[in-house]
Amino acid sequence: MKRTTITYGLAASAIVIAAASGLLAAALIPLWAAETAIVIAFPALVIFLGLWWRAPGGEEDIPFIGY
Amino acid sequence: MIEYLVFAAVFGLLLLGLHRKVIARVQMRPGPPVWQEILHALKFSFKSTWVPKTASATLYVGVVLVGIGIWSAALFVVLAGESILILFAIYMLHKVVEHGFGLSSGSPYGKFGGVRSVISAASEIPLFVTIAAIYLFTESLLLSDITAYQAVHGPFLLIAPPVAIAMYLVILSKLPYGPFSIVESKELVSGYKTEHFGVWRAGISVIDGLKTFVLLFAFVALFIGAVPFWAALVLMTIVLVSLSFVCAVSPMLSPFDSVTIQGLITGVMLAYAGYLWWVMP
Repeated sequence: MKRTTITYGLAASAIVIAAASGLLAAALIPLWAAETAIVIAFPALVIFLGLWWRAPGGEEDIPFIGY
Repeated sequence: MIEYLVFAAVFGLLLLGLHRKVIARVQMRPGPPVWQEILHALKFSFKSTWVPKTASATLYVGVVLVGIGIWSAALFVVLAGESILILFAIYMLHKVVEHGFGLSSGSPYGKFGGVRSVISAASEIPLFVTIAAIYLFTESLLLSDITAYQAVHGPFLLIAPPVAIAMYLVILSKLPYGPFSIVESKELVSGYKTEHFGVWRAGISVIDGLKTFVLLFAFVALFIGAVPFWAALVLMTIVLVSLSFVCAVSPMLSPFDSVTIQGLITGVMLAYAGYLWWVMP
């Protein structure tokens, strides 16, 4: 995956979480709506964050599939 | 609310590190530091990452996202005092996630882990009996109602100890290095996790941290009742240490023995639930 795509994904998931938290704090959305947004965005944030600061990726390979 | 998720994942990983430490000390080994699982998660997130050629890319990546998502949802359900039926539905979804992990990579080790995950579904059946038995007392499955019931009548740990034991065994079957941990036993390298490396494995660490936190927190709420948050953390740690002792002194069972014992436990629990249904007014 391209670095730019990963950066956009990371930014988008962070913005969704920040927006949900902010809107909930301002009482503009109900709790369940904020929780739903965070449940969807948090996994993406974890994975994109890891992909963003990972070591350079290698070639695809074939795992050990038996003798 | 993101702070709840981060705290739960980190505290859950800390508990898993403590689990390894207690097992090691019981077995007269020094063991890793308590924060080892947190370091593992960070280490994996910095590693080179790609998707193996033999993998089904969508499923391979998708199960990591689904796994983190379902346990995030489970944490919110528990914190909000919602229905334990939703919580245990999420628990059942984790079985699908384990199976997906195992089958997506194309590795035979992962595949066997996934297959073992399916045959160990017997470990989930005591959960249904737990839910049924609790409902017989409270006539509600809302966690908030269950804790309110315990505030009046005392903890379920004393009212219905067999139900607590059943839930305890369910948590035991989900912990690593335990007698029922057949899905990631060492003859399968790491079982269903074997071919998920780098960032994907860091995601699995987050899943494990959240899962451990949610299950122990739910156990405290279901069987001890509403306590201050700091007290819940202390009680969760005590429950985990007791589970670690069980893991340290019991060998891992073979897959069929594991399923047989879990089936027997289910039979005993069904008999107990039937007895409760018979004697309850």
